[in-house]
Amino acid sequence: MELRSVLPPDLPLQQRSEALAATLPPLLVAAERVASSVAQGVHGRRRVGQGEAFWQFRPYEPGDTPQTIDWRQTAKSDRVFVRQMEWEAAQSVWLWRDSSASMDWSSDRNLETKRARADLLLLGLAVLAIQAGERVALAGTGRRPDASRATLTRLTLEIERGKEAVRLPDEDGLAPRQELPRFGQLVWFGDFLQPLEVIEARVRYFAERGLRGHILQILDPAEEGLPFQGRVRFEGLEGEDPWLLSRVETVRGAYLERLAQQRDGLIEIARRAGWTAGVHHTDSTPQSALLGLYQTLAVQPGRR
Amino acid sequence: MLTLGPLGFVNPWLLFALAGLPILWWLLRVTPPAPKRLSFPAIRLLFGLQPPEETPARTPWWLIALRMLLAALVIIGLARPILNPSAQLAGGGPVVVVVDNGWAAAANWAARERLLGELLDQAERDRRAVVLATTAPDGREAAETRLSALPPAEARRIAQSIQPRPWAVDRPLAAERLRALTLEEPATVVWLSDGLESGAEPEAAEFAQALADLGSVQIYRDVPDDLPRLLLPPEIDTASLILRAGRVATETPDSLTVQASDDRGRLVTQQTLDFEPEAAETAQALTLPIELRNRITRLDIEGEAGAGAVLFLDERWRRRPVGLVSAGPLESAQPLLSELYYLERALTPFTEISRGDIGQLMDRGVAVIALPDLGPLPPEQATALERWVEAGGLLLRFAGPRLAESDDGLLPVELRRGGRIMGGALTWSDPAELAPFTHDSPFAGLMLPEDVAVSRQVLAEPALDLPEKTWAQLTDGTPLVTAEPRGQGWLALVHTTANTEWSDLPLSGLFVEMLRRIVAVSQGVSGTSEAALPPLSTLDGFGRLGNPPATALALTAEAIEAGEVGPRHPPGIYGTDAGRRAHNLVAGVPVLTPIGSLPGTLESRVYAGSDEQDLLPWLLTAALVVALLDALIALALRGHLSLRPGGLRQAARGGGTAGTARGGGTAGGVGTAAVVLLSALLLASPAAQAQSGDDDDLRRILAATLETRLAYVVTGVPQVDDISRSGLSGLSRLLLRRTAVEPSDPMAVELGRDELAFFPLLYWPITAEQTSLDSAARRALNEYLTNGGTLLIDLREPTAGTRLFGEASRNSQALQRLTDGIQIPQLVPVPPEHVLTKAFYLLQDFPGRYEGGTLWVENPDEADNDGVASVVIGSNDWAGAWAIDDLGRPRAAVVPGGERQREMAYRFGVNLVMYALTGNYKADQVHVPYILERLGQ
Repeated sequence: MELRSVLPPDLPLQQRSEALAATLPPLLVAAERVASSVAQGVHGRRRVGQGEAFWQFRPYEPGDTPQTIDWRQTAKSDRVFVRQMEWEAAQSVWLWRDSSASMDWSSDRNLETKRARADLLLLGLAVLAIQAGERVALAGTGRRPDASRATLTRLTLEIERGKEAVRLPDEDGLAPRQELPRFGQLVWFGDFLQPLEVIEARVRYFAERGLRGHILQILDPAEEGLPFQGRVRFEGLEGEDPWLLSRVETVRGAYLERLAQQRDGLIEIARRAGWTAGVHHTDSTPQSALLGLYQTLAVQPGRR
Repeated sequence: MLTLGPLGFVNPWLLFALAGLPILWWLLRVTPPAPKRLSFPAIRLLFGLQPPEETPARTPWWLIALRMLLAALVIIGLARPILNPSAQLAGGGPVVVVVDNGWAAAANWAARERLLGELLDQAERDRRAVVLATTAPDGREAAETRLSALPPAEARRIAQSIQPRPWAVDRPLAAERLRALTLEEPATVVWLSDGLESGAEPEAAEFAQALADLGSVQIYRDVPDDLPRLLLPPEIDTASLILRAGRVATETPDSLTVQASDDRGRLVTQQTLDFEPEAAETAQALTLPIELRNRITRLDIEGEAGAGAVLFLDERWRRRPVGLVSAGPLESAQPLLSELYYLERALTPFTEISRGDIGQLMDRGVAVIALPDLGPLPPEQATALERWVEAGGLLLRFAGPRLAESDDGLLPVELRRGGRIMGGALTWSDPAELAPFTHDSPFAGLMLPEDVAVSRQVLAEPALDLPEKTWAQLTDGTPLVTAEPRGQGWLALVHTTANTEWSDLPLSGLFVEMLRRIVAVSQGVSGTSEAALPPLSTLDGFGRLGNPPATALALTAEAIEAGEVGPRHPPGIYGTDAGRRAHNLVAGVPVLTPIGSLPGTLESRVYAGSDEQDLLPWLLTAALVVALLDALIALALRGHLSLRPGGLRQAARGGGTAGTARGGGTAGGVGTAAVVLLSALLLASPAAQAQSGDDDDLRRILAATLETRLAYVVTGVPQVDDISRSGLSGLSRLLLRRTAVEPSDPMAVELGRDELAFFPLLYWPITAEQTSLDSAARRALNEYLTNGGTLLIDLREPTAGTRLFGEASRNSQALQRLTDGIQIPQLVPVPPEHVLTKAFYLLQDFPGRYEGGTLWVENPDEADNDGVASVVIGSNDWAGAWAIDDLGRPRAAVVPGGERQREMAYRFGVNLVMYALTGNYKADQVHVPYILERLGQ
């Protein structure tokens, strides 16, 4: 699908992300554990539990409190029935995207910057989650997760204000360390070109606190292929020293190898922490990335 | 200065820097090109990576060539190359500039002036003394014109006064003056020659020698095609004027156009003369009716300046005054039979006739003397007449009984005694008829009438030369008109009488034609009077006729004949208004001869056709262009320039993001886009502006006409204009609500700029700050008023005055000033029964924001438009009372106050609009009963 035809770039980010998310059903983030920290949500978990929606009648068993008996149903027959509600719980999703200068870069004017793509995917994910009644917040802002429709607008304002990207709090170019409730979901968008040790330390920090997460590495095709030639003086975007290469094409192989190492390392870090990681390129459609995210985060049938 | 062909270098030593170019080549070659700068997020992954082998990238050869070109352009430019360098003074010492300023120099004087200026410039730069000498005499004594060395500034002042003279140069005299000059050191002599020998004998070489004695000599000459051409005196043929012109003989053919004009300067005709190759002279007959020909007083070579290109014609070429010798009282007794009567009638159509005795006529300078048969002349008269004929006169004699009896020697042929009678009562022969004219006769081509018969004639003695002398003969071969040149003149004899006594000839038209031809043969006599002819108007050096200079003296006819042209006698017109004589340059100028071989030491140059041109700006501009190109290429090589159209578009739209990480690339794109945009703007802006101006006007006109709108005059004071606008808005809204008038939003008009005709009512608040109206505004306003527009003038001040003009308030003074030139009719305070009081509402007074001011209208009894006033003047600031803001609330408080006053102000507005739209409709008596009825309630 041609991206531009679906997502006119002139539209506000929120509209684009909603259009992007419109093709997918609401995202129910898989919640592995039921915990008191998980706030009650509005969508049932298709199992018995705390909630307001009726789920089933079940014959009275000893130990059931009398309050649970549905007298009307009981009166219809000889048996006593207990009314059970559906378990309704909402998952909390903490979203974060890298807002460092290195994200604000694209190799070609016709390509979105990595940050723009990250914003789009982040909001698209937020739309899906909110549709499903999940509670969403930006990591590092200190705001509590919320699932109302207004949340989406607030999120949009928090990451983009007047066409200008808002810098999210970060620490070493990663999501800042903070105390988050257990069993939450973290989703990180960024290029994750930092040294792997730093990333691993941060992932471990969160994993130890019982959070699950997903890392989406967003790369520019130029970063993926190093398609430069000749004498080039590379300059970093975050204050790195410049690096002069008299013939770029000769080091391409070595560079690609390093990049592959970085990516593999990232996946490995995620795997070890029980997280997942993926790679997305700005020249591919955001739908594919969002679909991938959806599949990773959604409740997998048969996987409770 | 170094000179290479047409190029000269002011700073030739700078050209040595060109030798440094190979070094530059080498330097550019070993320096690697600047790297492409690229920001890259994943730079961390690149750290430590090194290409296996470091082969230095080289600057491409064409870029080096471009930079070499840039350097070469700058070096050559700074060496100051000059195209067509002229006037280069060599050596040191004083500069002697000799200018030929005779008539021949005028044709190409601009080149000489320019060269002279350049020489003086150079002398001034080099601080060399200048000796200025002119070769044309100026009539002053040699002592007054002693040459001396002058500072260049002073020489320049003198040089500016040098003008070509309408006479020839006198180089021997100039050489004499130059010899008298004493200079300490050898001089540089520049001779701006006119390229012609001045006299009959070659003297230029001698003059050049005299110059060479002073120092090294440069001579400037015209190219042969630029040499002047000379108009030679035309010759008179029987039927035409033969124009002649001379030139210096060259191999190339040439042609010139001669313009003939009359004494008032009107062009009579033009004739083109062509020079054959190698020919120095050309002639071309100009055939014109004699009346036209006689009007010609001046011939010019078209497009050529100088006295040589102008020639005046006077009586010698023109009228042929004919003198009739009157015999005495005898003729007057029978005037209709007199020979003079016939002659006069025949001559009058084409010539000027004077009568008198022979002596008087000769004094008057007539060209032809017609002598009827008076018998033999007394010897002393015959002698005088003969001298006159030999000087060029034409004596036309007629035979008759008296001539047949005697002979006085003034006859072209020997005559037999006694006459010959044909067809008389005692003869058996018929009167003879005329034979056709022979080709060489002046009468050739004249038609013979059939009814002309000659009954008596005198016969010539047969002689060998008789046929040659015969101009006309009878059918039997006997001569009728004979003529003989004598000296420069002619003797002509008609062998019959000038009256009808001997023949019918004087009765026929042929007689007139024959006389015309005979007169045309005559050359005219250059007046024998010895009187001095004062100069009337003379030519200047460029061939322009003007008042004679102070040095011009009167001259005699002989001097004119001798061609004495000089400072005392410039060419021109001499004499008096009655008798003008042309004094032409050509009379004193021998054949045009170019200056021949000169001593070899002279440096010969040609006047430059074009100015010298400094190439420095051109070369530096080229260098700048190359430098810009180089900069663009460098940018492109370093990746800062994207020429993809998508990039451009993006850059133009997102120029604001230039500060971000993509800044470099975007800035390059923005720059390109800016250049493209700028050029597009430069190309398109006037058209676009004109277009949008038209569109605006059209929109405005449509807006004003598609709906009824009130209008107010823009005063230039923002608060007042704002109140006017909102006041009329309020009134419009009220009209919409209460009446059938549905006006749209009011419009602002600028007097003199916007069309007023669309608006029924114009509200004009008076402010002291408004500038007086210009004429366009006054005209527009007057047209508006005469064509039925209504103008409400508001002084906007609380006055209770009863006089309108002449009060001292600022606004009424402004009113006076602003309405100056507006046709405001006689004004009266609104009468009680005026239509304004009952156009919609019944009103008694007309309050606005103020109350009590008098409302003045045009006197209804005198108004033109059916008594409808075109001007209403008051001072109550109505717009202030009408004004509402966006929410419909009044903007200004009314004084003294009360909603009733505001309501009344609105009612006045409604009435006024009704009045403007319906005129005196309510004045009709039809409504009187109803109005009365309502008044009664």
